[in-house]
Amino acid sequence: MKDHSEIQPNQTYTLGLEHLVAGTTEICKIDGTLGKLWYRGYSIEDIVDNLSFEEVAWLILDGELPRPPELSRWRDEISSWRNAPSEAIAVLHNLPDSAHPLALFRTTMTVASCYMPTPEDLSKEAQWRRPARILSWASMLAAASIRHLKKLPPLPPRQDLSFAEHFLWQSLGAVPDAEDVRAFEVSLLVQAEHELHAAAFASLVVASTGADLGGAVLAGMGALSGKLHGGANQEAFQNITEFKEVREAENWANERLVKKYRFPGFGHRVYKTHDPRAKVLEPFAESILKRHGLARIWDNYCAVKNCVEKQLGDKGIFANVDAVTGMIYHALGLPIEAFPIPFCLAISTGWMAHALEYIPDGKLIEPGAIYVGNR
Amino acid sequence: MSNINTLSRDYSWCDPQFSYPVSTPVGPGLSGVIASASKVGRVDSNNGTIWYRGIKLSELVKQYSFEDVAYLLITGRTPSESEQYLDFRNSLYASRNIPEGVIRIVENLDPRIHPTRMLRTGVSAMGCFELSRTDDLAGTKNWKEYRFIGQLAGITELVSCHRMGRKYETSHSNSSIAEGLLTKIQERVPLDEDITLLNLLLVLYADHGLDAPTFTSMIVGSCHADPYYNIVAALSALRGPLLGQAGEIVVEQVCALKSAKEARNWVSSTVKSGERIAGFGHRMYDFPDPRAEILREEFGKCCDRHNKQVLYEIAQTVEREAELLLNPKGIYINVNFYGALIFHILGAEADLIPCLFMIGRMAGLVARVKEYVNGGRLFRPLSTYTGVPPRKIEMQEVR
Repeated sequence: MKDHSEIQPNQTYTLGLEHLVAGTTEICKIDGTLGKLWYRGYSIEDIVDNLSFEEVAWLILDGELPRPPELSRWRDEISSWRNAPSEAIAVLHNLPDSAHPLALFRTTMTVASCYMPTPEDLSKEAQWRRPARILSWASMLAAASIRHLKKLPPLPPRQDLSFAEHFLWQSLGAVPDAEDVRAFEVSLLVQAEHELHAAAFASLVVASTGADLGGAVLAGMGALSGKLHGGANQEAFQNITEFKEVREAENWANERLVKKYRFPGFGHRVYKTHDPRAKVLEPFAESILKRHGLARIWDNYCAVKNCVEKQLGDKGIFANVDAVTGMIYHALGLPIEAFPIPFCLAISTGWMAHALEYIPDGKLIEPGAIYVGNR
Repeated sequence: MSNINTLSRDYSWCDPQFSYPVSTPVGPGLSGVIASASKVGRVDSNNGTIWYRGIKLSELVKQYSFEDVAYLLITGRTPSESEQYLDFRNSLYASRNIPEGVIRIVENLDPRIHPTRMLRTGVSAMGCFELSRTDDLAGTKNWKEYRFIGQLAGITELVSCHRMGRKYETSHSNSSIAEGLLTKIQERVPLDEDITLLNLLLVLYADHGLDAPTFTSMIVGSCHADPYYNIVAALSALRGPLLGQAGEIVVEQVCALKSAKEARNWVSSTVKSGERIAGFGHRMYDFPDPRAEILREEFGKCCDRHNKQVLYEIAQTVEREAELLLNPKGIYINVNFYGALIFHILGAEADLIPCLFMIGRMAGLVARVKEYVNGGRLFRPLSTYTGVPPRKIEMQEVR
């Protein structure tokens, strides 16, 4: 995001800064009424049909698709950073197994940031060199944290794998078949950027202080770890996985509808219609679940979705991306506590892009608080 | 709906009847935006009055310890010798007990690493011990404010010892936060006057509107995040040169000067070249920061006590010269100038200053996050798209 360069005389907004236009961006456009999403002018459908994660990360950060020599350099850059500092991995030995993988991952990231080259170099040029390193280190440390859950040691990095393959290899110990990898990669593509969501905003505030990009990413991850945000895919999945038959799922959903309970994975502050990310991801989820003999989960999802959308669609409540990603991650064999992690990895691309867009002319972000207590 | 000119000079930022939605001007860095309605603290930038929970800071500093102020900010109640207050204070002190695992992790770090990064690692590791994956990580339930303050103090003590190659031991459970810190920093039983002074600094830093760590923390809290993720995020916002680093730069700049004469020349050449003199300028004030006024006198006494008369002379000269040259530009002394120099005389290394600042600020930060999360809403502003119009991927350009 770019900062406002001039004072805007009048903007109307409400609690949570809803409706406030915080600045301008060339990275991403969301049309919440039509249910459309574009990265740098390309629609999410077009992106999912044609691009790899590496290409999309470059596109988001740079603004244009990489030309072949650029892409090959970028892939090399990403794979060259697959050796996260050994101190960051070693820290896992001193942490309890009972900790949440996101907390383990966070701790490894904070240690890695202690050992990054030229940590105090906050110049714009130095910032630009960081995204590949942050993406690769984060992926490796996340995988190590996931394996730590099962008391397994981290796996050594490989140079012959794509970003998506490499994360799955280091987390699961094997590279799944191409169709499964693509389902995972598509989940990364649709979650790589989403304008100024809460985590991006937190990350941007940190970047606006002049802190390094890694700090900005950690703040984003903090927000994303929240139940109302990235943690939602875990909750959404838990809800649909337990039913033995569709009937049960329908009963559960209808009962909650009567009681007016929330449905994690449904409804979105910006989309008042179908979430385009959920829509493009659904065929991949259906296919991977069926290939792994998990059709029941897909049927449960459809049952809950139909009930909720039939009742609440008029109010603009539809399944969002969090309702779908968990099904793919489960089919791949990722543990449920790890579901927010791929989201973290993918979307840190967007946070870094927003930070890099903001840093050159942006001021320290410092809104005010109005005092409403006793005088 | 109210239409408020928040950027007008005489707007008071105080309105007990306030409610959203609201219409305001929006300036660069979201200046003028009302991000929260709070009962925690108030800054009146017209006359430089600061209140914590409705009590003037200038009154508070005379009678309240940092622990008192933390209690006041968090609970909204004035401290008394009630059981509730004593429980709070004892728990705060006890939370300085750091698990062995965290100590090992911090002590394994290269001692040359910046203390704010070590602190962040320590806090993150702390969270792994405090909360397990079966806990509800939704934040508010585990948001035990006093613990964060004590843990931050404890880990800062640990970091300070590790940096100096000293053996770390948990502070005595009867010692105040300021006493515990000073004992570690000075490696001896500190003077009572020094303890009182560090206490004063922590009180003065305890709350000041929505600075970047506080606001970051509110955003993260609004997502119902794991509270330790939240503190890690706040500490990430501390490191930038515009914020936590200001104190470090004050010490580097002022301590490099050998005499009052050199100080005079340095100020005028620095101002002429358009560079910043750290410890001057604050977005909220167009007069001297009220906290700096309180600290100036204390700085003098502290210099006498520690035989730092030369430093006193130099700092005074820098202030006078900078006033002369910067006041006409609307730039005035801020809290960090004398604040950082006092931390320095008390024995803190320059780069430990942001950690010490943060211990004080935690009191207001946790109070504001707690307040926002109870009844607040996910922070989710918008941005206007100004990029290229929709286009199609041409396959030949891709591969």
